[in-house]
Amino acid sequence: MTRRDVMLRLFLYAALTAVTFLVCFPLIWAFFTSMKPKDEIFLWPPTLWPSTWTLENYRALLVGRDAYFQAGGSSGGTPPPSAFFLDWFWNSVIVTVCTTLITTIVSTLAAYSLTRFSFPGQRAVPYLALVGYMVPSIIFVFPMFLVMVDLRLTDTLLSLIMGYVCITLPFSMWLMWAFFRGVPVEIEEAALVDGASRLRVFWEIVLPTAWPGIVAAAIFTLIVSWNDYLFGRVFMNSMEKLPLTVGVMHFFDGTHVDWGLMMASSVLMTLPMAILFMLFQRHLVAGFGAGAVKG
Amino acid sequence: MAGARPAAPERRRFTLSDRQVGILFMLPFIVTAALFMVWPVVEAVRMAFYAYNPLRPDDIYWVGFENFERIFDDPLFWESFRQALVWTGWSILFQTVLGVALALLLNLTLPGMAIFRGLLLFPYIVPTVVIALNWRWIFNSEIGIVNHALLSAGIISENIAWLSTPDMAMLSAILLNVWKYTPFVVICVLARLQTIPTELYDAAKVDGAGAWRRFMDITLPMLKEVLVVVIVFRTIWTFNKFEEIYLLTRGGPGTSTFNLAVYAFEEGMANLRLGVAAATGVVMIALLLVGTIIYVRVSGFGREEKTA
Amino acid sequence: MSTTRRHLVQGVGGMALASGLAAPALAQGGVRVARVWGEPGPYGGVFVQGMNEWAQRNNANVRFEVEQIPWDGVTVKLTTDLAARRPPALISVESPIAYQLAAEELLEPVEDVNRAIRAQERLVDGFTLEQFGAWKGVQYAVPVHHQPCLLVVQKDVIDELGLGDPGAWNWDQFANAARTIAERKPGMSGYTMALGRNLCADYHITQFIWQAGGLTWDTRDNFKTVFDSPATVEAFEMIRRLQPAMPRSAVEFSFLQVVDQHVAGRTAMSAYWGRTMGRAAEETPALFNNMEYYLNPAHPRTGARWSWTDINGWIIPRRDNPFIRETKEAVAYVSNSVDWMVRYSQSLMPNVGPVFKDVASAPAMLAHPFYQSKPRSLDVIFKDSVPHACNTGLEQKRGVNPLAGVAHGRSVWAQAVQRMLLNNEAPKTAVEWGHRQFEGIRRDNARMLAR
Repeated sequence: MTRRDVMLRLFLYAALTAVTFLVCFPLIWAFFTSMKPKDEIFLWPPTLWPSTWTLENYRALLVGRDAYFQAGGSSGGTPPPSAFFLDWFWNSVIVTVCTTLITTIVSTLAAYSLTRFSFPGQRAVPYLALVGYMVPSIIFVFPMFLVMVDLRLTDTLLSLIMGYVCITLPFSMWLMWAFFRGVPVEIEEAALVDGASRLRVFWEIVLPTAWPGIVAAAIFTLIVSWNDYLFGRVFMNSMEKLPLTVGVMHFFDGTHVDWGLMMASSVLMTLPMAILFMLFQRHLVAGFGAGAVKG
Repeated sequence: MAGARPAAPERRRFTLSDRQVGILFMLPFIVTAALFMVWPVVEAVRMAFYAYNPLRPDDIYWVGFENFERIFDDPLFWESFRQALVWTGWSILFQTVLGVALALLLNLTLPGMAIFRGLLLFPYIVPTVVIALNWRWIFNSEIGIVNHALLSAGIISENIAWLSTPDMAMLSAILLNVWKYTPFVVICVLARLQTIPTELYDAAKVDGAGAWRRFMDITLPMLKEVLVVVIVFRTIWTFNKFEEIYLLTRGGPGTSTFNLAVYAFEEGMANLRLGVAAATGVVMIALLLVGTIIYVRVSGFGREEKTA
Repeated sequence: MSTTRRHLVQGVGGMALASGLAAPALAQGGVRVARVWGEPGPYGGVFVQGMNEWAQRNNANVRFEVEQIPWDGVTVKLTTDLAARRPPALISVESPIAYQLAAEELLEPVEDVNRAIRAQERLVDGFTLEQFGAWKGVQYAVPVHHQPCLLVVQKDVIDELGLGDPGAWNWDQFANAARTIAERKPGMSGYTMALGRNLCADYHITQFIWQAGGLTWDTRDNFKTVFDSPATVEAFEMIRRLQPAMPRSAVEFSFLQVVDQHVAGRTAMSAYWGRTMGRAAEETPALFNNMEYYLNPAHPRTGARWSWTDINGWIIPRRDNPFIRETKEAVAYVSNSVDWMVRYSQSLMPNVGPVFKDVASAPAMLAHPFYQSKPRSLDVIFKDSVPHACNTGLEQKRGVNPLAGVAHGRSVWAQAVQRMLLNNEAPKTAVEWGHRQFEGIRRDNARMLAR
């Protein structure tokens, strides 16, 4: 390697590091803030590195509602929003997992069918999915809200699941369709000729091949469901039924702005997504690449 | 294992024909799509023609095009429209330029690139609420870290009120959007970059073409298709995005960061006029249909994929 | 597994999941939970504790739970809860919202409760039962507290700069004082009020309008919109005049930020309710020692000192509310107990003023340390402010107006002022814009007014 190459490399690394730092900064800073005690958070000029490291913010969030009441908050007394954090977390997990299961299964099955068989109206389905993908959630919210009211389903996790399916199914469908289009049919046809049933072919041959695409679609659905605010805001009433996104905004509207709590919740909210992302990063890139570029 | 064995014709009863499998597999989607995709949109359009106060559900009445007249007469509607254009335009511009630049960087086969790739794609998975709260914290004009950094570096002499003036609030919203969605552009562009055969570059290098020439003559044309797709997508989505704006500024200060989605939300929830909100929704749908048509035309959707 | 068996399992599992997830937020069997909405603060919780004491003593199969409603989310919460037919059992919100709900026929009449607690005779002088929430002759609110918005002042700064007695100020002296402080005390604003697009700004702005003699609607003339008037323009001009003395980010401010400013020592004066004193007592005793409350400065011509007062009563949703009877009895129980009402008022002194004579003069009430340390301010907050008490739904005490609640949903007053401050419109232009919005609201809700 010439000297020039070395310099170039160093420069590139430096540039990348700088950009990466800038990009990750908000969350790095959130993490540091979450580890500071309240008085230190409000210092001006702010301390960059916490002078005191504390877990009090996390403890406040993870103590849970029952522990709060046992600790002396009497019934009728006002539990602070932070007491509900675990409830919110659990709600988000349930709803996200259910939505992902439903959406992924439905779209995988449909995409396979769409790309292997012929139906009337078959060509319209991807267009339908595409348009559905573009429809913003604000349009879905009000009609769905009215339906939930009529069905007496407001303030239930089921209503959230239904709402999330609205907004995740289109893209999932489209992604799976694009992916399945790229899976060669030769192997299947060979197996079919050998006498295997269509279902068996699907289960044993197609699914493993399509697995990266399925994972990508599932991850996308997970992210969107975990991320949503609007449906949670409109559908849910009780504090303990809120999803995480809506719940943490309650820290902001009360009598104190507790930045420490908010930053700690930011970290806790992002953690599951970050872990998923690290594990499935490659799938995600592959899936997006395939889906967005093809067709 | 239950299910067909290749050489057991008696088991045929449990084997479904191709046609049956096809229909069976499509059925969940058809039902779900009809209930959760088609119906809500149809209903949203229908609601646009009624006056609907959610506190008085027995008092719904037909108003024809009155809701549309109301929003087209409302200066706030046009203000929101204009602001949405500003927000979308600048966001897309930055996202595209930065996205391509980052993708090019990440495409290099230097050791350790996987780590950078992971870290740089990170913002996409961060929940919008988290980033909105973080933004409000770091851009806090009194005790936020950004002002502190700028002050210490001598770039500014007094704290900037990042979220309290219309221009700064719009800038903050654009920054947030760029931060969150550039990774999406990077992913798409990167995926495409990785399919460009290196022989093309090698041949160009042999011909004596410099890095810039190689970029303009080989990379950019290859990327054109992806970029157009990504730009159209991102534009349609950004234009109608609710959470990014609402959680950061609630449409403020005043109404200076309103976009159509925030406008619709306020009309429906704060003004208790669901019909008007639905009418705004119809306008949004019309706009995105236009966008979709453009996308379809431009990306050659449905046609056979062109070879590299 | 064969296809059919797989689908069957999925189906059953799905149903089980669905039924589990669809279970509403009520407890499974056992005690029923009745939700109570209150403002952010401990006092709602105290009242609910009293209600639960009633529930225990009477073996009622109900447990009351308080839920704090952030001020800025009230209208949205109304939509999601009331429209969703999952109302709380009991609500305590700002007066204008209460009037709006009453006119929308969403509330349960409460004359029986008011009789049971002898509200009429116990009520503190200066208030009438109707002012808490009556519509077309029917009472819908049980009085619980009052909160005036007054001038909160750090007296040491005033004295240091020789600015006189804030109690004797008029608008000009007040504006002058604010300007002087901002000029002479670096790092400190002269005056802080809310100017964001929110409820708090609506409240702070309308005070000036009434002091100047203006109104939004005239309740005595068929709710005619009268917002566009010289008085309103004068009020807008006053706000613009005060702006240089305010923090630069005041155009973002809501309730919380105003208190924060004051309690952090960054402003010498602010417009607020009693909460500021309560927080100062807890967080910054040095500030508390020098803090004094005064009636709003008088308008030079009208002499009016109107202050936006939350004339707050408990209201009970009428539809889809299975707890009406228990709620009424529990509310009566607590309201009749001087002990509980003293605890209520003392839970955040001096934010929640007592509305019953026996409570206001109870020895336990007067034993609170603030009566020793801040007797003058407490007098102003609890007693002297009452003649000047009104709010957007009861402008200048000229009768209840439900349109205010609707207008607050969009913070029309705040928006009008912001047009002047942010978009640099002339005050008259901004006022005219506001007038058009208010007239639109009146027309949209003609049916509600006619009922």
